[in-house]
Amino acid sequence: HVTSYSCVPLLRSGDVGMTSEFGDLVQIKKQLISITAQCKERGLVHSVKWASELAFSLDPLPLNEIPPAPELTEEDARDLDALCLAKSYFDLKEYDRAAYFLRGCRSQKAYFLYMYSRYLSGEKKKDDETVDSLGPLEKGQVRNEALRELRVELSKKHSAGELDGFALYLYGVVLRKLDLLKEAVEIFVAATHALPLHWGSWLELCNLITNIEMLKSLSLPECWVRDFFMAHMFTELQMIKEALQKYQSLMEAGFAKSTYIISQIAVAYHNIRDIDQALYLFNELREQDPFRIENMDTFSNLLYVRSMKPELSYLAHNLVEIDKYRVETCCVIGNYYSLRSQHEKAALYFQRALKLNPRCLGAWTLMGHEYMEMKNTSAAIQAYRHAIEVNKRDYRAWYGLGQTYEILKMPFYSLYYYRKAHQLRPNDSRMLVALGECYEKLSQQVEAKKCYWRAYSVGDVERMALLKLAKLHEQLNEFDDAAQCYIIYIQDIFSCGEQLEHAEVSTALRYLGQYYFKNKLYDEASLCAQRCCDYNDAREEGKALLRQISAVREQGEPSSTDLSVPCVFNPLSNNTTPVRRVSPLDLSSVTP
Amino acid sequence: MASVHESLYFNPMMTNGVVHANIFGIKDWVTPYKIAVLALLHEMSTTKPMALLDRRRLNKLILPLQQGPDLTLEQFLKIVEECCLRMVNAVKHRLFLMADGELQDMEHFFTILPNAFSDSEAFKTSVVGLFMRQMLLAYNKLSFSQVYKLYKSLQQYCHRVQPELSALPTEDMELTSNEDPSAEHIDKDELDTASLHQSELRSDESQGPLSQKQAEYFLARQAYLLKNDENKAMSPAKLQDELNNILKFNPDFAEAHYLSYLNSIRVQDIYISTHSLLHYFDRLILSGGEGKSNGDEGYGRSLRYAVLNLATLHCRFGHYQQADLALQEAIRIAQEANDHVCLQHCLSWLYTLEQMKGSDSVVLTEDSVKIAAHFCLPYLASLGIQSLVQQGAKQGMPANKLLDALRGTDIMHWKQSLSELIEISLAQTTSIWRMYGKSTMARQQAQLLLNMNSLEPVNFSVQQNNTEAFAVALCHLAELHAEQGLYAVVSDIMKHLKQQFPPHTQHAKLWMLCDLKIQFEKAMNDGKYHLAEPHVTAISALNSTEGLYRKAQLLKALNQTTEASQILQQLQQQCEKSKDIEMTIRVMLASAELHWDSSGFATALPLLLQALALSRQHNLQSLTSETLLHLAFTQLMLGIPEQALVLVQDVLESVLAHGSLIDKGRALLLAARCQMALAGAAVQEHRLTALEQAVHTLDEAAVYFSQLDCKERMRDIHYLQARLHHTLGNISQRNKCSMLFRLLDQELPSSGMTVVSHL
Repeated sequence: HVTSYSCVPLLRSGDVGMTSEFGDLVQIKKQLISITAQCKERGLVHSVKWASELAFSLDPLPLNEIPPAPELTEEDARDLDALCLAKSYFDLKEYDRAAYFLRGCRSQKAYFLYMYSRYLSGEKKKDDETVDSLGPLEKGQVRNEALRELRVELSKKHSAGELDGFALYLYGVVLRKLDLLKEAVEIFVAATHALPLHWGSWLELCNLITNIEMLKSLSLPECWVRDFFMAHMFTELQMIKEALQKYQSLMEAGFAKSTYIISQIAVAYHNIRDIDQALYLFNELREQDPFRIENMDTFSNLLYVRSMKPELSYLAHNLVEIDKYRVETCCVIGNYYSLRSQHEKAALYFQRALKLNPRCLGAWTLMGHEYMEMKNTSAAIQAYRHAIEVNKRDYRAWYGLGQTYEILKMPFYSLYYYRKAHQLRPNDSRMLVALGECYEKLSQQVEAKKCYWRAYSVGDVERMALLKLAKLHEQLNEFDDAAQCYIIYIQDIFSCGEQLEHAEVSTALRYLGQYYFKNKLYDEASLCAQRCCDYNDAREEGKALLRQISAVREQGEPSSTDLSVPCVFNPLSNNTTPVRRVSPLDLSSVTP
Repeated sequence: MASVHESLYFNPMMTNGVVHANIFGIKDWVTPYKIAVLALLHEMSTTKPMALLDRRRLNKLILPLQQGPDLTLEQFLKIVEECCLRMVNAVKHRLFLMADGELQDMEHFFTILPNAFSDSEAFKTSVVGLFMRQMLLAYNKLSFSQVYKLYKSLQQYCHRVQPELSALPTEDMELTSNEDPSAEHIDKDELDTASLHQSELRSDESQGPLSQKQAEYFLARQAYLLKNDENKAMSPAKLQDELNNILKFNPDFAEAHYLSYLNSIRVQDIYISTHSLLHYFDRLILSGGEGKSNGDEGYGRSLRYAVLNLATLHCRFGHYQQADLALQEAIRIAQEANDHVCLQHCLSWLYTLEQMKGSDSVVLTEDSVKIAAHFCLPYLASLGIQSLVQQGAKQGMPANKLLDALRGTDIMHWKQSLSELIEISLAQTTSIWRMYGKSTMARQQAQLLLNMNSLEPVNFSVQQNNTEAFAVALCHLAELHAEQGLYAVVSDIMKHLKQQFPPHTQHAKLWMLCDLKIQFEKAMNDGKYHLAEPHVTAISALNSTEGLYRKAQLLKALNQTTEASQILQQLQQQCEKSKDIEMTIRVMLASAELHWDSSGFATALPLLLQALALSRQHNLQSLTSETLLHLAFTQLMLGIPEQALVLVQDVLESVLAHGSLIDKGRALLLAARCQMALAGAAVQEHRLTALEQAVHTLDEAAVYFSQLDCKERMRDIHYLQARLHHTLGNISQRNKCSMLFRLLDQELPSSGMTVVSHL
């Protein structure tokens, strides 16, 4: 079917968008202008927004370059009045009325608007009805009654090959709403082929793709929009590195001013917890687009993580002024209260966000966190469960559930949840460390060690994995391994430059000092001991060790021959000496 | 873009971030089907003169109609028609009067509805009265638009059947009418996919939403069936579909998750079952927290039981280490909360787990019993006692103590009506009697169990008969019948077992092992060793020790003595470790037989004496007599037939009373051979009578062997008889016997030394 759609107006106007390179920004701009007009005519407001945002970021065209409005066909002319009337009704959300006046129209544009009005009318009625459904169990049963009729009609037209890119998109949406996901993917792919510039189709496709294999198996049109799609898709699939690369190349290609791309990159940085970069980008975004509300909840998350109270407070007040009945605003306020430790109020605002949009995933999870803070574990579990219901792949909710049960002192029980979270984010060290801690509590040291080591290898965010691993080795009397871990830990801490809060470096140094001393590597030991003295809590021990070392050195015994001294100070080194002494005694007692 | 299509509804049932499914306490609401049921009730109470039989049938119908899922009008009318033809027309008339008329007619119906019940036999608090009042209440609560919607759906409901009564009940008219004209244009495969989706949609449609009442009833019924008679419950896939359907409409319906857990356990799906179990408890914890008066208690309690259930889940799937960890966690939390009842449950699981792992858990079990008795938990206490009895029986506790213990707990079971434990106790007694070799007692106990009426109330016309106890009793019965050569009966029992405990179920391994053992024995008796061989592998898969033993037996029969003795030695070590007395004695006997094969009769003696001591010590009568027969045979071979005969005659009584057919035959054969040996040594006049006695004994043995169709033995007997008759001078008899011998000898593969060297 794909080929039969190649005669859509966009391609007819000469702007064949088949170049994957972005050499011709002018052409792209022309395409954007034309698609904006088309979407506007059809009431696809979000696609209009996307396209015009992008167009805005490009340089303005001179007058003679601005594309002319597409020519009207005979049919279009005949339907013009009805379409005009219907569109006005449509804009006023009188969908049934719009559909009524479009019922006899033949042109593609009118047909789309006709079907779209019917679809939206069904959706609106569904939403209205949900409020006064007959009974509690029926609430899930309320459905868009128009969907099935629409599907039948659209499938008929589709098999006759009469659907244009917009109608295909609508057909796909109808299929998705009917939970016929496989068919929906096919149709959306066809829609992108027919009309690659319509961002809505791509976005819908994005929601339906669950893994990278599925993405690879699709044959998508070669068009510059595809790069935007891929970048978005990588973000969704948590393949942040690839996503960032894609966005970077888009920026270089000339979309550097696009607020859309800036926000997407900021979100991507947020996802890999590169907080500084993300904060920087969000600040820039707010400068360029001060009344933007989208993505501001993510921004507030970042501010929260950094405990930047004044900034968060400013953001919250600013957003309230713009529109206080937006989900994002409520989330920001929730974060604000949470940072001020007013958890009841925070939960209240997250609830408000959920009332505005019950499918708002982040709010459920955040509300769970608030309940956790309030020690209301049962409500927290409920909130997390809701989050999972909305999106099974929400690793934070799984992680939250695990944490809740861990707080309830049920480490084995929480293992399941952490494992789930780990499955979803295999390369996130936090889950691995949590898993390791659980295993440690269950005295499954082997598993715990594996977890910690893995956490370190995937890039430890909190830099705790090695320390925990070292302590575990210490417990298990695996001195060499423990020392090795401490060494890497110290190197790690010093190499990253910034001073971290937790003063565990002293623990590591203390242990290493003793370890070297035990192995009679006095130079290294004294070095460690000296470094120990830099820390308050290890100073005394450092000095003691230094004295010990100098005592040993005074005796003039530089290395391994010494057996008598350490037992006074160091209980650890007892392990080696007595054995050596006793065994010859034993032998002598046997021989006579 | 996506947000345009998301429903932006405000959920009125959400308070405090928690969605309460039932904030108004509405469990039921009016649907067109309910109106049809109401119409039926109305007609029933208004039409006074009605045939008693019709009325009775209708009355029986009411409850299922009220509780069941919504039916289509056609189905509904058909059911009513089967009961009372006149009623159908009245109901139909009334419904169509409403549907074809105006909204007012429906309103009118609801206004006159209470009048009909005010002076009829349906009390306000009866099932019918409650239903009627609930419906009225639900109807009165409807808003303007809802009433209109209800009326529209009633019209749809009635008119769906009207044009074409033969059409599929769930056919969607709009869809088909739209689809039909286009059918010519659509090519073949397109049509196929289209119709496929339609059927998907339709099946979705036909299931419809259940009201909370209906859903609860559905869950209760399916859970009950799963527990008591799995075969009558819905198939796993279908049940899961239904559950998903319920959960789609109400994700907060925690019980559905639990049923999903049970259902996936049924098909051994660890993934879904864990998921459902945890989900259930996550939800339950919430509903527990809801009742604030309950305080923290309900919440913490469900946490403890959540972990405990997780432990049982892992136990069920054989993940002992995981189960152990979970159990420890449960114990820790229960200890912190001072919940002795939960602790007690944990303890009983702990010893079960230990037992499953194969380690000794007597001390744990004893503790458990003591504490359970202290906290007045009769169920757990006697479960512990039963477990102790089982272990005791295996380790050779005196029989009287065991049976006393069982009797003591039995009294309590009957007092407390713990029918499940009564069943276990009966099955255990069966096993114990069987172990002691008292087949009559075992048979009697098994029959007692199978014929017992359960004390539990019989719901949904299903009586519980799928417990492990039943499986054990039936297996014993099958083996007992096999011993007596009644293979037709055995196959009947097996068929029943297969039906009652399908191969994927928990207790299926019991009958599988039992079936294999019987078939193995049969093949060995028939001398068809090649048939026995595959059974050995199958048995090993189910029970490695038993498999090894059977393998040794088979190798012995195939004269591969070296391999057999190796295996037997290995087995001996295993048994000593696991203290499995029965198997130890069996292994000793088999080793003794191996010594016979190498003519080491004297070396077999100490082994046999050891076996005798062991079996006497543990009251294992059948094994004792078996050992004695072995001893007698050894003595016979060592040339002391007098002693041998005395021994045989000693045990003959008990063998004939309790033994299997083959044992009886073997004992008599041995007796005859002793008599022959003695006769050889006796003086002339005694000799003839002695020989005649031997012939007589052989005849008796022949009866048993022929019942079993044991050809090898028959050949031996014919040979001996021919020799005897020859000595006695009965030429015709001799010829007859030798002819029979020759026939069998030609049929069987020859093995020269059989007559001499085995029992």
